[in-house]
Amino acid sequence: MLLQQLVNGLTLGAVYTLVALGFSLVMGVLGILNLAVAELFMLGGYVGLTLMLDGQPLLVGLGAAALFTGLLGVVVERVAYQPLRNAPPIAPLLSTLGFSVIFQTVATNVWGSDPLLLPPELMDGRYQLGSISVGQAQLVVMATAVGMVAVLALVMRHTRFGYGLRAIAENRDVARLLGVPAPLVTSGAFALSGAMAGVAGVLIGLHYGALTPFVGVEVGLKAIAVMVVGGTTSIWGVLLAGPLLGVLEVMTVAFGGAAFRDMTVYGLMILTLLLRPQGLLGRAGGAQRV
Amino acid sequence: MLAVQGLSVRYGPIQAVRELSLEVRPGEIVALIGANGAGKTSAVKAIAGLLPHGGSVTLSGKPLPRRAERALRAGLALVPEGRGILGQMTVAENLRMGGYARRDRASLPAAIEEQMRRFPILGERRDRLAGLLSGGEQQMLAIARALLSAPRLLVLDEPSLGLAPIMAARIFALVEELRAGGMAILLVEQKARQVLKIADRAYVLETGSLRASGTGAELAAQGLLSDAFMAAGAG
Repeated sequence: MLLQQLVNGLTLGAVYTLVALGFSLVMGVLGILNLAVAELFMLGGYVGLTLMLDGQPLLVGLGAAALFTGLLGVVVERVAYQPLRNAPPIAPLLSTLGFSVIFQTVATNVWGSDPLLLPPELMDGRYQLGSISVGQAQLVVMATAVGMVAVLALVMRHTRFGYGLRAIAENRDVARLLGVPAPLVTSGAFALSGAMAGVAGVLIGLHYGALTPFVGVEVGLKAIAVMVVGGTTSIWGVLLAGPLLGVLEVMTVAFGGAAFRDMTVYGLMILTLLLRPQGLLGRAGGAQRV
Repeated sequence: MLAVQGLSVRYGPIQAVRELSLEVRPGEIVALIGANGAGKTSAVKAIAGLLPHGGSVTLSGKPLPRRAERALRAGLALVPEGRGILGQMTVAENLRMGGYARRDRASLPAAIEEQMRRFPILGERRDRLAGLLSGGEQQMLAIARALLSAPRLLVLDEPSLGLAPIMAARIFALVEELRAGGMAILLVEQKARQVLKIADRAYVLETGSLRASGTGAELAAQGLLSDAFMAAGAG
């Protein structure tokens, strides 16, 4: 029972991790919370799952979701952030909130407000590992999340774009003095952030077997909690806090009842803010970046 | 090489630099000296493309781009005040960032090794986070990193700030060595007496305006290098 719940929790945590990384990438580079990430997550889910329901393979669904929400991420950056970059930080925050409302409205009009249900045969395999039963969807969710995190780590550590992104996150002026094209790399950060959220949207649909236009709010807020608990701009912190909160949520439901589910997750977030405001792996003073 | 004409920088209603003109010729060390708040850092940030400005800036006769990333590619590297080390990257990663804009990327590893030979301490600490280096080591790293972009003009903003006298002397010796190699250097400093020992010429800024220019001897003759002047007025 405990091990089974652990696997379920890690699956959910994998999705939270990807969405939280989407938030964290932009937070690290610009110091702003891009609220549209939550709805890019939802839109990615709809795009990918619609294609899969149309008979396309999983990889096509994931790729299309990443491409679509990655491009939308750039649109968000160009419209909601670039023109407001010298305005008070509340301005881009509100403009990204505006985008998230628009995205949710568009999804409701295109796909309807009723849940998009996935036929069980879409991914119905189950595998028995001792006393643990692991669904095919769970394996796909975890493998994809691990793959995405590995790709992100490679990009950040070994590519020119990753170096530029890390430099901008630490000191934008110095990065520019070293030749980093800051506007281009910033757009890239929004694209990467959107793509990660979009892929996570497909995964949550596979995990729950359904998707609604309102899933972005629920999972987006959890991802923000993950980011806060891990350390707002620390990728390693998010990688630790994502699975932690996923397991905490599932264990709470299993052993305490569904009524306490959100209480423990957001309770942990508040506790973190009170006792260690920089998060588990963040640095005091807010200097920790991507 | 570098020709600045009528440079002006404003922060809203405050005019930080007013009609500054200066020149740096190939193989020359030129000092820009002045007290705190004289406008030295604003001037070099504007020249390097970090601040919007009025007036013209040319490098080797061509207008210098007004965006920092493009000014670097045109041949100007600025080591900013405070060194601008990327503290959460390792020494090796900082050096790699120095070659970010290089056209010839294949030669970067060899160029990094060359800088590590020039500054052996950086080679010894290549895998250490740059933020953990001492002030002097950070300044060496900042200069090595700037050199990796293969600049024609190196601008150093207060390179001796916060350094022990012996380390400051090493940095000034290095600047002389770079000049001997043919590089043009614009050196911003508050320690006027020290910097004039190595500078070919200097410009004195006072509350954003050019007060005087000339060799160290000429400035001293005008009484512009007195401690009182440097602390209170321009120097």
